[in-house]
Amino acid sequence: MWRRFRRDRTGMVCAGVVLFFFALGLLAPVISRLYGKDPYTLYGQDRPGLLNEYGYPIKPNGGIDGEFWFGIEPILGRDVLTQLLYGIRTSLLIALAVTVATVVTAIVLGVAAGYLGGRTDYLIGRTIDLLLAFPAQLFFIAFLPVVVALFVDPQDETPTYVRVLALIAVQWFLGWMGLARILRAQVLSLREREFIEAAKLSGASPWRIIHKELLPNLVTPILVQATLMLPNFVTAEAGLSFLGVGMVEPTPDWGRMFAIGAKVYQNDLTYMFFPGVAMVVFIVAFNLLGDSIRDAFDPRTTR
Amino acid sequence: MLSLIYTRRLRAAAVGLSVGALVLTGCSSGGGGGPEASEDSPSESAPEQAQIAFADAKASTGPAPEVPGATPGGTIRVLQRDSYSHLDPAQIYVSDEMSLATLIHRGLTGYRMNEDGTYAVVGDLATDSGQVSDGGRTWTYRLKDGIKWQDGTPITAQDVRHTFERQFAPFLTSGPTFVQQWLAGVNGAEFRNLLKDGPYQGKHLGNDVLETPNDSTVVFHFKDPQPDLPFALAMAGYSVVPKAKDTKQKYDRAPVASGPYKIADFKANKSMTLVKNPEWDPKTDVIRHQYVDKFAITFNHQYEDSSKRLLSDSGENKTAISFNNSVDAASLPKVLGDAEAKKRTVSGFQPYVGQFAMNMDRLKDKRVREAIAYALPIKSVLQPYGGPPSGQLAGGLISPTQAGYQKDYDPYDKLKKPEGDPARAKKVLEEAGKVGTKLTFAYVNTPEGQQYSVSVASALEKAGFDVQRKDLPADTYYDRIGTVDNGYDIYHHSWGADWPSASTVIPPLFDGRAIADGAKNYSHVNDPKINSEIDRIKKITDQKKAADAWFELNKYILEDVLPAVPTYYFKHVQLHGSKVGGVVFSDVVNGVDPTRLYVVR
Repeated sequence: MWRRFRRDRTGMVCAGVVLFFFALGLLAPVISRLYGKDPYTLYGQDRPGLLNEYGYPIKPNGGIDGEFWFGIEPILGRDVLTQLLYGIRTSLLIALAVTVATVVTAIVLGVAAGYLGGRTDYLIGRTIDLLLAFPAQLFFIAFLPVVVALFVDPQDETPTYVRVLALIAVQWFLGWMGLARILRAQVLSLREREFIEAAKLSGASPWRIIHKELLPNLVTPILVQATLMLPNFVTAEAGLSFLGVGMVEPTPDWGRMFAIGAKVYQNDLTYMFFPGVAMVVFIVAFNLLGDSIRDAFDPRTTR
Repeated sequence: MLSLIYTRRLRAAAVGLSVGALVLTGCSSGGGGGPEASEDSPSESAPEQAQIAFADAKASTGPAPEVPGATPGGTIRVLQRDSYSHLDPAQIYVSDEMSLATLIHRGLTGYRMNEDGTYAVVGDLATDSGQVSDGGRTWTYRLKDGIKWQDGTPITAQDVRHTFERQFAPFLTSGPTFVQQWLAGVNGAEFRNLLKDGPYQGKHLGNDVLETPNDSTVVFHFKDPQPDLPFALAMAGYSVVPKAKDTKQKYDRAPVASGPYKIADFKANKSMTLVKNPEWDPKTDVIRHQYVDKFAITFNHQYEDSSKRLLSDSGENKTAISFNNSVDAASLPKVLGDAEAKKRTVSGFQPYVGQFAMNMDRLKDKRVREAIAYALPIKSVLQPYGGPPSGQLAGGLISPTQAGYQKDYDPYDKLKKPEGDPARAKKVLEEAGKVGTKLTFAYVNTPEGQQYSVSVASALEKAGFDVQRKDLPADTYYDRIGTVDNGYDIYHHSWGADWPSASTVIPPLFDGRAIADGAKNYSHVNDPKINSEIDRIKKITDQKKAADAWFELNKYILEDVLPAVPTYYFKHVQLHGSKVGGVVFSDVVNGVDPTRLYVVR
C-alpha cells in the first residue's frame, strides 16, 4: 500500500505541499520570531511613511520590501506575511478539529446503525435524513452568534477559544452525516459476510467483532473521506469569516483576509495575491492527495 | 437626525468560487500603492460656518437668480440607493427623502444659497422668514400671491392650518416633532394630547395656538420663545399638505406637489419619474429652478455601483447624477486621483458628528474618562471609512455645519495627536490609581467596525486599560447601545443636527432628563448645570448670542464633565456625469442641490 502510494508522483508532491502547510501553521510563532514581526502590531499606524492618507501602502505592490516581504495590510498596517501564517494556523487548527470530531461521530453512529440494525438503524437513519435537509451555510450564519451568546457574559469580550469551539461545534453538527452513511452501508454488507458469521458463532462479543473484524475493513473509506473532508472544512471556515460570522479581529484569519482583500482590491490588488494563491494551492493539493490515497488503498477503482 | 451607517452585507456565499476569482485578479500585476497625496490636500479644515440670516421680504421674492450657463430641457438620470419609503411631508425625516422634497414640496420657509456661498432662511410660500413679536412667542407669516397646488387650486392659510393640525394625528409618526411640541408647550410624546386625532374628527387648534385670521395669514402662538422657528419650518417635514386632497395614510404614496416637479410615476423599490409641474410659478419661488424636463430616478444602486457608473461617464451615465449616494471608500483614491473625474466631484459636510460616548453610569471617575479621551486614536476611527475625504477630525462637539463652530478648539489635543497619546493617558490613569480598569468597548460588527476596534483597543491597552471588545450586530447596534442598562463602557455613535444650530445637538445628546431606553443621551450624563443651561440657551432669541452660548456649553461639557469624545465630522464626496450642469453641494440637504441642475447641451 505504502509502496503503491510512493510510486504516485502527484500524490507525493501533494503530500509534501500539505505537510508544508501544516508545518507553516505549527511553526508560525517560530517563523514570526525569526522574521522579526508579529501579526498584531499596527506597523502602518505606529510608523508614519508606510501608509498614505487614504490608508493604502505608499510603496508599490502593496508595500512589499525587504522588511515586509508580503507587503502591509491597508488601513490597519499590519504585516501580511505573519497575518497569513497565523491565519493558516487558525484555519487549519479549526478544520483539523472539525475533521477529527466528525470522523469519530460518524464511526460511532455509522457502525452502530449498520451493525445493530432495526430500531437503532431507523432512528440514526432518520436523524441523518433530518440533518442533511438543513441548509448548512445558512445554519452556520444563523447559529454561530447564538452559540457564542449562550456561553459568554454580555459584558465580557468573547474569548477566542469560545469562538473556536463554537465554529467547531456548528460545523461538526452538520458535518458527520455523509461519512456515517457510507460506513453504515459498508457495515451492512460486511455484517453478512462469512468471517463475521464465523466470529459470531465462535462466541466473540459484539465489541470484539466491531473492533477486530469490522473497523480494519473500514480504514480505507475513513481515511479517504477524511482527507477529502478537511479541505472542505478549511474553505467553510474561511467562508464564515469572510461573511463576518467566523473569527473576528484581532485573531488573524485566512478567510477574513479575503474579506479585506475584496474591499481594497481596487486600490491594492497585491494584498489578495498571497492569501489567494496559498488557499488555491492548499485546496488543490489536498484534494489530489485524497485521490492518491484512494488509489493507493483501493487500486480496483478507476478514475 | 440619526445616522444609520452600516454597510449592507450581501456577499456571495460561494467562497470556493470567489477564491479562484481572487487569484485571477491577484495575478494581473501589482496594484500599486494608491495615488500620492493630492496637491490640494482634502485634510484642510473647513471655513467657519457663517451665521445664517433670516431674510426679509425683498430677499424672499422670486424668481431665483438664473444659474449661469443653464439651458432648459433634457432628462437627468438619478441613481439612488434606497427607495423612498415616505412621500407624505409629515413623514419625511431622512436625508434622501429630504433631497427629493426640495423638488416636489414647499413649506413656509426654505434655505437659499446666496451667490457668495452663504445661506439664508427665506420665505418660501411665505413672503418672508417670519415676523416675530411678543419676545419670540408669536410668529406671523403672510402667504405669497400666485402659489398653487399641482391641480391649479391656490394654497391658502387653511391648507397651512391643516398641515400643522394633521401632524398631531396618531398615524404620522416618522416626521419631526419640534413645532408640535412647541405649540403644545411640552417635551416628549404628550404633545399629541393637544389635538388627539388631528383635524379629522372636526376639532381644530384654538386661536390661542394657531391663528388664521384670513386666507393668507398664519400666526403661531407659543408658550415659550422659539427663536429657531424659521429653521424648523424649513424642514421638509413641515411642507404643506392640501386640506381638500388629504387622503390620510394613502397620502404617503401619492402626495400633491407644490414645488416645480410632480410625481408622474412611482414604482417602489424600482423607479420614480418626476415631470414639470406647470402650475408652479417661478415668480413665487426664490429657491428653485425648473430647467430639466424630467428626472428619471432608479433605486438599488449601491455606492460602489453608482460610483463605477458615474466614473465611467459613458452613454446615459453622462447625464446621470445621484442626489445622495457618496463615492464609496474604495473608489475614493481612484476618483480623487484622476484629474478629469475629480472635476466632476462635489464634496462637503454631512451634519453628523461621530463621537465615543462614555457610559457615565459605569465610568464615574472623570480621570478615567480623561485617560480614555487622551488615548483614543480618532484618525484610526475615520480611516476605514475612507480617510480625509470622508471626514474631518473633530476637536469639539459643534460641527462646521453649525453656527458657532471654532476650528481650533481642541481641549484634549486630538487634532495635534490624532493617533492618540497613550503615554499621557497612562500618566492620568496612574495618578488616578486606576491602571487595569476593565473597559467594555462595544463596536459595530462590520468590516469597518472591526478595523477601528483593533486600533482603539490597541491604544487603550497601551494606556493601561483592560479592554473587553464586544462586537454587536450592525442591524441592532443602535438599539443595543441605546438601552440605558446596556452594560458597555464606551461605544461610538454619530448624531446630526436638524438645522444649523446646536439646539438640535446638545439637548438630545446631553440633557439628563431625557435618559430613557432608545433616547439619544447615549452617555447617560445628568449634570444639573448642563440641564439648566440648555433651558436658558433655548430661550435666547438673538441667534449670535445663542450660538456663542451653545459653544460655551460645549466647552463645559467636554472640559468639566466629559461624557463623550468627538471623533470626526462626516464629509462625503459625490460624483456626477459630465453633461450635468449646475451641480453644487448644498450644506442644507448635505448633498447635491437638486433644484438648480440642468443638462449641458
